[in-house]
Order: sequence, then structure tokens, then C-alpha cells
Amino acid sequence: MEYMGVEPDRLHFSWISSAESTKFVEVVSEITEKVKALGPNTHYVKKEAKVA
Amino acid sequence: MIAYTDKVRQIARRLLEESRVEMVIGFRKGSQPMMNEPCFIRKAEDADKLVWDGNCGINLANYLTGRNEKIAVFAKGCDSRNIVTHIIENKVQRDKLVIVGVPCTGMIDKRLVASRTEGEIESVGENADKVVVKLSDGGSLEYDRREVLQGNCALCVHRNPVIYDELVADLVEEQTDVDRWADVREIEEMDTEQRRRFFEDLLAPCIRCYACRNACPLCYCPTCFVDESKPQWLGKGQDQIDIQTFHFLRAFHCAGRCTDCGACQRACPVGINMRLLTKKLEKDCFEMYRWEAGMTLDQRPALDTYKPDDPQGFIK
Amino acid sequence: MTDWEPKIVSFLCNWCSYGAADLAGVSRMEYPPNIRVVRIPCTGRMSPKFALAALREGADAVWVSG
Repeated sequence: MEYMGVEPDRLHFSWISSAESTKFVEVVSEITEKVKALGPNTHYVKKEAKVA
Repeated sequence: MIAYTDKVRQIARRLLEESRVEMVIGFRKGSQPMMNEPCFIRKAEDADKLVWDGNCGINLANYLTGRNEKIAVFAKGCDSRNIVTHIIENKVQRDKLVIVGVPCTGMIDKRLVASRTEGEIESVGENADKVVVKLSDGGSLEYDRREVLQGNCALCVHRNPVIYDELVADLVEEQTDVDRWADVREIEEMDTEQRRRFFEDLLAPCIRCYACRNACPLCYCPTCFVDESKPQWLGKGQDQIDIQTFHFLRAFHCAGRCTDCGACQRACPVGINMRLLTKKLEKDCFEMYRWEAGMTLDQRPALDTYKPDDPQGFIK
Repeated sequence: MTDWEPKIVSFLCNWCSYGAADLAGVSRMEYPPNIRVVRIPCTGRMSPKFALAALREGADAVWVSG
């Protein structure tokens, strides 16, 4: 996806065990910070109203 | 390569006469120059319709799935790798196939020849290393065969079939001094914004005819994701985002399976080089897992095995 | 622009991260409210389709967690 021009910080992968709630909180905070720094996603949103 | 035609006919006739197969899949001359079309032969006397030259770029592995009869198929290097992929994915059974290997020296890029030639092309012939173009006004031109090959053929390192029951001719020498991924590296070196623009421009002419999907031997899903409506993954129109989503997802579906046969690019009516997407995934598979699709029947594909030492740097 | 908050679509595995999220909730931990969780039965259920569809529908980021 990075190769196609999606900013690398728009896609995250992680591995958290069900017992690691602290890690979960850490990762959520970290990702949120990174995405905030990146700003809104503008390029990949479909602009017109969706025709279902 | 032109000399293969006699041998191709001979083999097809023999296989049908001996009832070893019910049908032979090969090529016949198309109605326009440089447009050979796939041809299904069921009777030995029809074998003379078959031809083989530098315009047989369509991937015949595409026509093998969903059939019950015993089939003989002519297979270039890339076709044979796609047949291996089909066998691994249980789409065809090895014992229902007679694979006639065709050592290949590359296919002619019809668009390149047409763009280099002024005037109307009447016919295109070949001899050992020249492509001879005859014009409708009586003139004729010659090109060096190597200069007008399809992009993927010029960089091909698996010209010989990897699996076959018999061969049309002796194996050819493989190319070793090619840089297969120069164009992919060029894109990798761009920054995110440049890449986004690059692909936007690359895919802008797409008319969503899905010829690339239909020509691809890997695209055999009964219902393609583009045709699904519940859920609808992407819109049907010409919205740029939808076009890009289609191409990106199509490429992802070919990850670890694509043999870079070039059928998609060849089929594209507007000449988009969508191979730039599939080649990146091919390169990644090769660099991360040392995997090349369709080289052997004995190994499971990179993306359906797990090894503890698989690269996982992208996971937090 | 100042009051923009990112929307992060999160695909969490039922058995791992979804459990972790549950535990975080039960333990009354605080974390940013920007994630929108989609529970998937296993990370193997994840598909590039989902990620692209999320971005196309306006998500600011996608997070996959096993």
C-alpha cells in the first residue's frame, strides 16, 4: 500500500495478547498521535455520494 | 520461433489421432496482424489451423479451468508456470493435461511495432532475429526482434517451460544479464506523494473494461469482487478512487501467484502498464521469501506457509 | 481544522486484541476515543479489501491487530 502512495502511517499492524491491556492502550495512543500528526485522509476518500 | 508451426501442427495431429486428448488448445492466425487468437481443436484434420510465432502472447493457462475433458495445451515458460499454479490451487488435475512445452524467445509487443511504424500494417512476419513489417502501400520495414519484445519478455528469466510432457523444440538459453526490477525500484525511490501521483496518472486512462482481469489466468473467481454488490466493495463508475481500488486489489489478488506473463498489459485497450503493481509484489515475494510463482509442484506458495523466520518488521 | 479528530478503523482479532481491548475496558483504563473497532474472528480474516474500503469511505487510518 505504501508503494501505491498511501502514507505509511495510515496503516498499522500490531500483535497484542488478550492479557496485554496496557500494551493495547499504549498502541492506541501511539497510533492516534501518529495519525493526528499526519492530518486527515483526503486522497483516498471517494468524493461523490455513494450509489448503492 | 516461426519454425515451430509445423511441429506444433504435427504434435496436435498426433495427440488427437491417437486419442490421447479430446482437445488441443493452441493459437490460430487472428483477423488482424499481430493478433493471434486462442484456438480449440477437437479434430485431427483441423490441426493445420494452428500456428506459432511471436504473437502468441495470450496466456493459454487461462483456458484450462472448469473443464472436464482431457486437454493438450501449448505452453510457453510463463504459461507453464501458471499451469503449475493452477495445479497447486487444485483448479486443474495434472493427469488430465498433456503439456506441450514451447521454449520461447519472447513475444512481440504489437503496440510498440504499431507506434514505430508509419502507415497501415498489412502483415507482420518474422525470421530468426528480425521482425518484418509489410505495409499496405507495398513498402516493408525490418526491426530487430529484441527491440520490439513485450516489456515482460525482454526481462524474462524463465523462457523455458518448467513442466512439460513433450517439447516442440530444444530448450533455449535463459537470459541472465537482465535487471528485472529496475522500473519498480524507480517507483520505490519516489516519495509517498510522488508515488500517489504516479499511480493516479498511470491508471487515469482506465475504462474499467476488465480485459486485464479476463486475460489473467489467475483471475478465475466465480464472482469477482468488482461484480459483487453485497457488500459493494467499489463503485462501478469512472471515479478515480474506484479505478485505483480495482487495480490495487486486483494486484493484491495476484500476490505470490503472478508470473509476469504480461497478459494483462497485452489485453489492455488503452495500454496501461498495470504490471508495475504486480511486479512490486513479485519482487517483494522474491526478496522476502525467495519465492517465484509456479516454479515447482513440490512447494507450497510463500503466502500460504508460515515460517518462524518470516520477516515481520512491519508488526509492532 | 482545529477540532478535527482522526477516525481510525481498527480490525481486532477476537482472541487477541479484542480481548485486550475488553480487558482495558474492564480495568477502566483510559485510551484515545479515536478508534472504531471492527471485531474479526481472526487476523486471517483480514483482507486488503477491508483496508482499502475503509480508507475509501473516509477513515483516516486503518489498524490491524492480532
